[in-house]
Amino acid sequence: MIEARRLTKRFRQAVKEPGLAGTLKHLARPRYREQVAVDAIDLTIEAGEAVAYVGPNGAGKSTTIKMLTGILVPTEGHLTVNGLVPHENRIENGRRIGVVFGQRTQLWWDIALVESFALLRDIYEVPARRYAENMASFSELLGIDEFLDQPVRSLSLGQRMRAELAAALLHDPAIVYLDEPTIGLDIDARDRIRGFVRDLNAQRGTTVMLTSHDLGDIEGICQRIVVIDHGRVVYDGALTALKDTHARERIIHFQLREPVTDMEELRRSIAPATLDEAASDLHLSARFNRFELRGGEVVARVMRQCEVVDFHIEEPSIEQVIRRVYARKLTLEPGAGTLQGA
Amino acid sequence: MRKYMALARVARRTMLAYRGGFIVHVLGATLALVALFYLWRAIFAASTALEGYTWEQMKAYLLVAFLSSMLVAWFGEWRVAEKIMDGEVAGDLVKPLDFQRARLAEVVGAVAIELVVSAVAVAVILVAFGSMVMPGGLHAALFAVSFVAGLMLKFTVVYAVALVCFWTTGYLGVVWARTAITNLLSGALIPLAFFPGWLRGLAQALPFQGIVATPAAIYLEQVDARTAVRLIAVQAAWIVALWWVGRFMFSRGVRQVTIHGG
Repeated sequence: MIEARRLTKRFRQAVKEPGLAGTLKHLARPRYREQVAVDAIDLTIEAGEAVAYVGPNGAGKSTTIKMLTGILVPTEGHLTVNGLVPHENRIENGRRIGVVFGQRTQLWWDIALVESFALLRDIYEVPARRYAENMASFSELLGIDEFLDQPVRSLSLGQRMRAELAAALLHDPAIVYLDEPTIGLDIDARDRIRGFVRDLNAQRGTTVMLTSHDLGDIEGICQRIVVIDHGRVVYDGALTALKDTHARERIIHFQLREPVTDMEELRRSIAPATLDEAASDLHLSARFNRFELRGGEVVARVMRQCEVVDFHIEEPSIEQVIRRVYARKLTLEPGAGTLQGA
Repeated sequence: MRKYMALARVARRTMLAYRGGFIVHVLGATLALVALFYLWRAIFAASTALEGYTWEQMKAYLLVAFLSSMLVAWFGEWRVAEKIMDGEVAGDLVKPLDFQRARLAEVVGAVAIELVVSAVAVAVILVAFGSMVMPGGLHAALFAVSFVAGLMLKFTVVYAVALVCFWTTGYLGVVWARTAITNLLSGALIPLAFFPGWLRGLAQALPFQGIVATPAAIYLEQVDARTAVRLIAVQAAWIVALWWVGRFMFSRGVRQVTIHGG
């Protein structure tokens, strides 16, 4: 579906010294600095996959998406999507893809939403029956029928994002790019959008490429994760493999009725789990590898020694894993994905 | 084709959504026109004809100039420039639409509304200032063709100039410069006949005169039918040339676009 080979994008940035003098100097003798946004990326995505494309701000995520969608022209490398070179076949490529940019609208701001949809129907030449089916389905799943008669400018952010999603899928694209689709949304709206995209991928087989800083989005929608940093792919593999390999550590937080009497004894008994520095006498945090110990075991051992009022388990967050991937503090095992450029 | 017609329809709706602002804009322009009428009437009070224009002809000239400045204005370069400056062009690039044709479709959709409102303004002026000369049948037909060609020419100029925003970081200066040059060299402010020889020569060598001076000259029957057809051919040649300049600029501009945000 997507084939990228050594895909590269460099931007030329004007180097200007501050002040009027700097501006004049630049006018007389412009100097530029090359900035590599995407650096020789190899990426293959098969039809029907749901791939999370993550990385810190400025890592090159959006630049990659903009090349894949045909907005930006690659500086170097080969790229085909659906067998087409996107920027050379913008119109044909446009027919087959759906795009949601969380930070900007693709709808017409001043006219009723239903008119935006009717316009998209004409632009994408969606057959009348298919249009009716899709509108019925989006109304049911995304609830867009509640605000179809309102202009987009008067919609709430949650409503607007639901509308954007429906708009991007009206023409049954084979692939949909979602760039931060849940940014700024409340939990309810996020859940709705995640569930919808998951079903779209599972039932219609639509290929999904998602960028998000929201790990719930990633875990809720994608099976595969590609981590990019400084324009290079640093991890490409299954999400579960990444978690199993790099998110083995769990933490259980306990709230106690009384302070621990014998700290040394407690430490000994819960090994190989370790205790963190506690915030107060009545708090304990035990850290352990979930492949060495089970959570229940840790809880049981602590409860043998102290009276526990309450406890909760901190799930390993992908965020921490990803942070460690960025920091290149990882040793990857075979089958867990490929670490490139480390 | 259908998709572009749909775009034109939506542009018309959008215009209606902003009708308040648009009507205020037309009122302002109408007042400016009234001021121009008084100015020229005062000038013609001293003489019956200036550079071959009588007061009656001048009235007609001003109205033709007014109409062509009112049309292809609202959805013009501001919209194209803003699309480029704020990155909205990204959304256009992922749709199966030709950017230039889509913008033309929007302009065409908006012209219908612009025409209706401007015609009302013209009617009011006519009532206030009395009659206006009318061209004969053949010239009226040639004028209609030339006027439409003038609008199309205006679109190709405006579109190409707005694309300069791919290479600049602001569009105010670009748009103002374009407006000033067009107003002067199209004959919208003063008929070209009033220019000194060298400036008239320059105006004639450039496309802008096709926007106002050409249709106005045909309307006033200052040229015979044969010359009118030749002038329309010149307009058409400019339209084709600038259309392709616009296409070329877009394909170049979009290659080096950096869309910020996200």
